[in-house]
This record gives sequence, C-alpha cells and structure tokens, in this order.
Amino acid sequence: MVTVTLTVNGETRTAIVGGETTLLRMLRDNLNLTGSKLGCDVGDCGACTVIVDGKPVNSCLMLAAQAEGRDVETIEGLASMDRVHPIQKAFEECASLQCGFCGPGVIMSAKALLDEIPNPTIPQIRDALGGNLCRCTGYVKMIEAILLASRNMRGEAVQSIR
Amino acid sequence: MRAFELFSAKDSRDAVALLAKHSITSKVKVIAGGTDLLADLKFSAHSPNVVVDISRAQELKSILVTDDGLRIGSLVTHSQIMRSPVIQEMFPALVDAAHTIGAVQTRNLGTLGGNLVTAVPSMDSGPTLMALEAIVSIEGTEGRREVPLTDFFLGPRKTVLKADEILAEIIIPKQNLGKPTHFLKFGLRKGQALALVNSAASFWVDWDKHTFVAPRIGLGAVAPKVIRATQAEAFLEGRKITPEVMAEAGLIAATDAKPISDFRASAGYRKNLVAVLTKRALEGAYALAQAKR
Repeated sequence: MVTVTLTVNGETRTAIVGGETTLLRMLRDNLNLTGSKLGCDVGDCGACTVIVDGKPVNSCLMLAAQAEGRDVETIEGLASMDRVHPIQKAFEECASLQCGFCGPGVIMSAKALLDEIPNPTIPQIRDALGGNLCRCTGYVKMIEAILLASRNMRGEAVQSIR
Repeated sequence: MRAFELFSAKDSRDAVALLAKHSITSKVKVIAGGTDLLADLKFSAHSPNVVVDISRAQELKSILVTDDGLRIGSLVTHSQIMRSPVIQEMFPALVDAAHTIGAVQTRNLGTLGGNLVTAVPSMDSGPTLMALEAIVSIEGTEGRREVPLTDFFLGPRKTVLKADEILAEIIIPKQNLGKPTHFLKFGLRKGQALALVNSAASFWVDWDKHTFVAPRIGLGAVAPKVIRATQAEAFLEGRKITPEVMAEAGLIAATDAKPISDFRASAGYRKNLVAVLTKRALEGAYALAQAKR
C-alpha cells in the first residue's frame, strides 16, 4: 500500500491505496469524486479526463502514486453551489450533451484548452477533443459551446471559480 | 488490474538499483508515462509482482543540443516534443510524428522512451528516429552503454534492454542535426489510430549536382520491428532528385517492407501504402530542404 497526498480542486487530500490503483480509481473510490467516469479504462474514450499540473490526462492511465504532490483538477472543481462554470453554462445553452457520460471528460478537455489558448480555432478545438469519444452528439454542438465559452470567458475578465 | 508492489525511483541510478534488486526474485515492470503499460496490465494474465516508477527521474526529462548531437531524455513526453522550440526548428518530422500519437491526454503522459521500449512495430516515433540514425543510451547498474536504434529492437515488444536496464536518452547524432526529414502516417482515422504504415524520409541535397546525399528511410508497421528501407536508400544515393526517382524509390521501399495481413489491412495494401507514403515523405523532405536552403 502507498500513501498518496495530492491537491484536488485546491484542497489537500490523502488516501492509502494499493500500488496498482489508478488515479481514476482513487478519485472515485477513495475520495468519492465520481464525476470522472470509468469508461474504457485503457485511454481511448477520455471519460476519465482530469487536469494534472495544468495538462489534461487520462486518469485511468496514471497510477495514483504518480500523482503524489501534484495538482489535480476534476469536474467537481468547476461549479460552486451558486454558479456553474462558463464552459458548463455554454454546454447547457448549446444543448451540447445528450446522455452526458462523456461530459465531464469533454468539459475538462475544453477547460485545459481554454486555460492554455483562450481564443482557439475550430481545428484546435477538434484536436483538443480528439481523445474524448462521444457517441451521441456528433461533437458539433460541443464545438459551438466551446466557442461560446471562449467568447464569454474573454468578455468577462475574471471568471475564476476558486 | 492485479495487485503489485510499487517502488518510486528518485532518479535513474535509483531506478536501475531497484530493478537489479527486485528482478532477481520478482517479475518486474517499469512504468514511465503508463499509457502502454497500464492499458496492457489491465488485460494481461502475466502481471508483474513489482513495478518500478521512473517518472520522477528529472535528469531524463531534458532536451539538449550537445557536442554529440540532440539528446532527448527518455521521459520527455510527446507533448513536450511538440512544444520544444529546438525540435520544431531542427526536426518538424518529430513534431508531426508526436502529434499522430494517441490524443492530447495520452501525449501528455506518454514518453518518447516508452514508445520505443514498448517496441510495437507500428510505433510512430520509430521511423523518423531510424531515418535520423538515432542512438539510444541505456543505463544499467554498470553505467551507460550506447546502441544504435536499428539494433535496439529485436522483434515485436522485444528490445535489447536487460532486466536491470532502462532507456535513458535518445541521441540524434551531430552530423544529422537539421537534416531535412519528413514523416507520414496512414491510419484508418485521423485521430487515435494505429498506423497501417508509417514512413519517414531524410536526406541532404548536393545543390550543385542536385542529387540525394545520405538518404535514409524508416518504415513502421511493415515488419516485426521498425526497419530501414536499405534497398531504396542505396537506389537514391547520389541520384538526381526528380519526381520519377522519388516514385521509383517508393516502389523499391515496398520491396524492403515485409508486412503481414491482419484485421487492419492486407499485406498487399500495406505495400502499396509504403510506395505512396515513401514517395510523399521524400517529396516532403525535399520541400523542407528547399525551404531551408
């Protein structure tokens, strides 16, 4: 067993897990953060996408112990009790999700993109979503939502939730 | 995934010491980015008892130009290759190859060293490095040894790495720095597809004679390991650069290739792809040579 201490959505969290435990399993089973989804579990679907030290990664392909001391953002970090994140708002306004299973991963990929490139082109958005499989929507409304969120976030200078 | 004991190495020396110690009594695997290893272990019946995590070895994470050439640490991720100003300037083909690997999430985790050590024939970083005559630096308990990349691969998922060794650095030799190189991959989708064939071509141009100098061609997914198209290289050496010669070299490269038929494509289709991709890779490298002239 290994003891893992890391920052999750701005809070220091600790869990004791087996060496083989993935970051995804630790988030879901030890820290009760079930927003990140277990889909394919081999890095194809992107439903488990979280942001580690500013970069989107498949949390199913990272051992929990490899996240020791690192800064992890999950979908639970985006909304507060009284407001949703501008990306979530844009996904709602554009009706970008249907079944919604891929949503947390897609939105975290979108957040990582907009954190790095506030005004992305459509090819950049498509590249950023290349690791997130959605079998419902066909992606068009997701791309619209990310463009809308990009405009809204640049229009409103301070949009940080934390 | 079956349970295993995990040891986190502080640096590469610590990593090889841990490997030497545990490989005597246990089945040991090394984890770096984890994108190949963890995906495999989740479906594997032959799980390791011990896994050594080398992902914190800072000295394996740099990209440096030295007297030997361009030294890329084995833990450099595909995303870091894409963002490296040095690599963008010297070897856009390496940037293109990195971009075709997986998706953003896997490129942020997966490492260049891991891509090579996994040694699947369809790896996307192999052909370009092979065309650039890369050398790998291997670290063991006795120290470092260097092996040409052509000798590093033994077959599918097999390399010359011993139980107590790790891949430490990938070196592109000095004489090849800035050598015009172009990489192309053909997969069944634009995103997240394994290569049916990938091809990289690299050569200098003798502008007075307008001929190929030191042409090198790397091919992936067409043999048990990444190979050089040596007959095509020999054909091109010293020959006038024309569209017809590049097309002919593609056809010869197709005879260098020894592909198999599988559920992704037939051997015949792959040979046709080798001819076309190699021709286009040569054209791409030539365009780059002209731009750099």
